[in-house]
Amino acid sequence: MNTTQQTARVGLFFLLGVALVWVTFETLSDGKIFAERTHTLIAGFDDLKELKNGDDVRQAGVKVGSVQLTRLAGRRAEAVLQIDPKVPIASDAVATIVMSGLIGGNYVAIDMGSNGAPSLPDGAEIRTASTPDLNTLMSEIGGLGKQLQDSLGSFSKAINGDGKAGGGIIQKLDKLVSDNSSRVDATMANLQEITGKINRGEGTLGKLVNDPKLHDELLAAVTDIRSTAAQAKEFVANAEGIMDQVKSGQGPLGTLVYDQKSADDLKASIANIRAVSDKLAKGEGTLGKLINDPGLYNSAQVTIKKVDRTLDGLSDSGPITAVGIVVNALF
Amino acid sequence: MKQINAILEGVGSVVQLLFRSLSYTGSLPRQGARFIEQCYMIGYTTLPIVAILSFFIGTVLALEAGYAMQDFGAKEFIGSLVGLSMARELGPMMTAVLLAGRVGSAITAELASMKVYQEIDALTTMNIPAAKILVLPRLAAVLVMMPVLIVIANIVGWFGGSVVARYVSYVGISPQAYFAALRHYTKFKDVMNGMEKAEVFGFVVVLVCCDIGLNTRGGPREIGAAVTRGVVVSLILILVLDYFVTKILL
Repeated sequence: MNTTQQTARVGLFFLLGVALVWVTFETLSDGKIFAERTHTLIAGFDDLKELKNGDDVRQAGVKVGSVQLTRLAGRRAEAVLQIDPKVPIASDAVATIVMSGLIGGNYVAIDMGSNGAPSLPDGAEIRTASTPDLNTLMSEIGGLGKQLQDSLGSFSKAINGDGKAGGGIIQKLDKLVSDNSSRVDATMANLQEITGKINRGEGTLGKLVNDPKLHDELLAAVTDIRSTAAQAKEFVANAEGIMDQVKSGQGPLGTLVYDQKSADDLKASIANIRAVSDKLAKGEGTLGKLINDPGLYNSAQVTIKKVDRTLDGLSDSGPITAVGIVVNALF
Repeated sequence: MKQINAILEGVGSVVQLLFRSLSYTGSLPRQGARFIEQCYMIGYTTLPIVAILSFFIGTVLALEAGYAMQDFGAKEFIGSLVGLSMARELGPMMTAVLLAGRVGSAITAELASMKVYQEIDALTTMNIPAAKILVLPRLAAVLVMMPVLIVIANIVGWFGGSVVARYVSYVGISPQAYFAALRHYTKFKDVMNGMEKAEVFGFVVVLVCCDIGLNTRGGPREIGAAVTRGVVVSLILILVLDYFVTKILL
């Protein structure tokens, strides 16, 4: 191989290497050979967590840019976001730092904002919200664990006692059982006796359990009750029908309840009755005197006796003298 | 004690050779032909073996990562693992190892032969320093060619990983997902770190092999021994320096 060929190959090889270095640089720096025009947004956070340069900026999960720079700005941290200018970011959109997986990796998530809101201009500051990270969650879980431990400790203390007088529930139960063991034995013996009687068919409960006849009767009684209930249901349905009629003003009762004229008539009738009864009580009028004057009663009794005698005389003298007798008897 | 003395003697000799060579830096533009020849030897002819090796390193990395990560559902990170491993560590180191095996051995053999057959002495007699025409062009060539070899090794290795990620059933992630993870976690800074590391390795390998070749004494048997010693010392230095350079660059 001559020197010229060798030189050409080395030159080609070198240029290939330089080109590959450039491609690698562009690919790993921003993913493109030629940098696209982007616009910048500033996102201020209390804590940028694990966010680093080059991390994604995503809207609804779609990559729309990347984090260009992270920096401290006064008492807060700022992330400079490079956003694809073709993607408008609403002025009320909120940026949050989101974990992309448990083993690391964060990205900035931007929500859609409200429909119709104007787009943020280049260099504007986007609204942000902080989200709990894994450390915060772990800390909260730790607190929860402590609370659970305390609760279990209290429960355990309640169950087992804290070594002071009285003891826990288990000790108290133990004491209760040991103090009342004779009564518990007696109760158990009684229970045994009762169950024995039931088993032997003694007593009402025993017969109910063991006697099929009683069972049949009970079943019949239940059937009767069911039939009665059906009748009661029918009765209630009828009563409801009547009530409906009354409510709708049909029939005498309905008229009486819902017809104003009938009510007025009834009132007037009651007033008249009261007036008549008052007069009767005071002994006014014929009927009042009849009720209240004993002399009228006596006269009536005498008259009736006379009529009685006259009738007796009539039966003895015959019909010819009847008028004369009546006249005599009366006058 | 004798061995420590030999090591110190070697270190001193390498440092002396380095300074002697650097003192002739001004003559490099006039050694264009030698420089191109060394670039051809170190870069162009080494490319096929570097590409093949890097491709299979990438595939093995993806295979192992996929096997290990399938149990806990982190296969999407295979791209980042292969990308970072190739760029930061395996690309530079394996290229330097290949350089030691292929170029370092050739340099040692050539210079040892020249020394044994008294060509070096002849040059010295003619007041042509070996450091000037034999060492300096090689050092310059390795500095220029190593970044090219490294970037090719990285790209071929990444590609090998993507082939495995796509076609091996238990890995089974798309090239898009593989390269998205690779791009997300591998930065150009990592590639630059790898290149810096490779420059150090390549420079040390060539310098040590030149020194061992120039210091060969005896007959043809010593040429073989010098080649073996050159490759072994280079490999040891690559691994030892790897730790310290990585520590500095992190």
